[in-house]
Amino acid sequence: MNKIRRPSEGTAPRVVLIGLASCFGCQINITNIEAHLLEVLGQIDMAYWQLTSSDPMPDAFDVAVIEGAVTTEEAAATVRAARERARCVIAIGACAATGGIPGMAADDLAAHSARVYGDAAPRACGAMRAPVPVSAVVDVDFTVPCCPIDPFQFVRVLDAALYGSNRLEATSVLCGECKRNERGCFFQDGTLCLGLVTRSGCGAKCPALGRPCNGCAGLSPDGNVRAARFVAARSGMEVRRFDEALAMFNAVALAAADEEGGNR
Amino acid sequence: MLYRVIDRDDLPSLVAAFMERYEVIAPVKRGAGYVFSPVGSFDEICIDYPSTIASPKKYLLPPTETLFEFDAVENAVTDYTEEVRPRVLFGVHACDINGLMNLGSVFADPRYPDPYFQAHRGATLIVGVGCMPSEHCFCNLMDSEEARPGYDLFLTAIGERYLVSIGSVVGANILEGACDVREATDGDRIAFRAATRARQEAFNPAIPDIQEIPMLMDAFHEDAFWGELGERCLSCNACASVCPTCYCFDIRDTLDPGGVSGRRERVWDACTSPQFAMVAGGHNFRPTATERVRHRMYHKLNGFLATHDRSLCVGCGRCAAACKVDISPIEVLRFFERKGADDAC
Repeated sequence: MNKIRRPSEGTAPRVVLIGLASCFGCQINITNIEAHLLEVLGQIDMAYWQLTSSDPMPDAFDVAVIEGAVTTEEAAATVRAARERARCVIAIGACAATGGIPGMAADDLAAHSARVYGDAAPRACGAMRAPVPVSAVVDVDFTVPCCPIDPFQFVRVLDAALYGSNRLEATSVLCGECKRNERGCFFQDGTLCLGLVTRSGCGAKCPALGRPCNGCAGLSPDGNVRAARFVAARSGMEVRRFDEALAMFNAVALAAADEEGGNR
Repeated sequence: MLYRVIDRDDLPSLVAAFMERYEVIAPVKRGAGYVFSPVGSFDEICIDYPSTIASPKKYLLPPTETLFEFDAVENAVTDYTEEVRPRVLFGVHACDINGLMNLGSVFADPRYPDPYFQAHRGATLIVGVGCMPSEHCFCNLMDSEEARPGYDLFLTAIGERYLVSIGSVVGANILEGACDVREATDGDRIAFRAATRARQEAFNPAIPDIQEIPMLMDAFHEDAFWGELGERCLSCNACASVCPTCYCFDIRDTLDPGGVSGRRERVWDACTSPQFAMVAGGHNFRPTATERVRHRMYHKLNGFLATHDRSLCVGCGRCAAACKVDISPIEVLRFFERKGADDAC
């Protein structure tokens, strides 16, 4: 741990929190650290947070926290502007990290739009584009995955952005973390679980509570989708079901892999 | 070694005697499996369990352990003095006792003695229990089917009695205080031999007994077999999570939400983790799952021998049960069985 220099008055790092296409649940979840919220806010100058204040976004800031997927040209411009101004960009939540739920519309956006809005989408929708994660538009320094985020993980990442960290994000997948909880395996009773290919780091909370992993932490870059399909098939499941389940939080990544002709 | 005989009905009072002074950790049923867990009464214990999902290692090398606490603003460090809880690991199989012996030889290395492990180990009594092998067990092939040192008491069921091997004075005193302890009779000795014979014959014959495993590991280092394992490895570390002898860890700092105080923690890590061999500058000297799986098998079946004179793998079979894609030392033994066979292609 590096020695932390406390900011003197007026020099606290300025943090902005930008909400894009999302349910705002990750922002709400930050407030759920309740007892510690003031301690966290005491370390920063929270210069813009639409959820809590109608003050407009300032021109200058140090850290940009971005929730939500980029689904419009306007959002892309906001993200680019944030990247230019901030020394550090943190993407929070599945939507910002993987495209998440909005990402499901990435494949054939026009058809989705037509089904919802008919011939023309209302102006308020903005200039729609196929949803992508923040990292598809600008470089992202830190990512807090999951739907919703673990707010304490957010605080750890914010600390890392402010003070540095000796933590290395792992790309191993969830099964191993789940085994530590010693709760057995969903595949044993024929229940599909995406822990086979989903990034670890959440502590396998859902499986520990009796729910299979739905992949909200996103497909690991080292996820072995082909082997996972084999496991699903061997456990008596249709591979198509596995693929559909995986697409919920990974539609963008899977489409990109298909384009590359990859096997994943 | 000293041997005594107790009745099966004596076990509850033995456990109760331990509970007076120790937290008792024992195998209990959870879902479709078994786990080592603190117990409040003898009735919770499943003494005839086949295996547990993960090993009892977690009580000596916790998945996350604070090494010290710090104040990041003052740049001050506080030695961490967690009160180590006196515990009894009750009902540990021979493979796991050998696994704990292996961990002991790592963490007691005089060059780098580990005070954290040793504090836990020093406060822990071990009561072993004989077992019958299940599908994935191959401790007999890893020289781990018997616990020689490494326990305070070891119970082997002989009908409605237990032959108790006594490994420590503390164990003997608690045993004698709690149970009606008898000298073994000729009948007990015959029953014991019958029990060991039955166990010996119960190992899964489909797991091949291979000689010269360490040399074979070297001889077939470049074989395409490792690529086959690597192609199907999920990079999940389930093998390491359940293994009684994986002891690798990462070190990381965790700041409290206030950003002032924090803890330096060690957390389990594993050579199957993609970033395990990444060094400063970002170079990863085992970048593929093939290299990582092979490395894991080497350490388990070959590498540990050089410094500790025994195989690190104790043949508990947990990784074989945990791995969704059938990667385990058993597959390595089967590979060697195929190599050099008359009908091999």
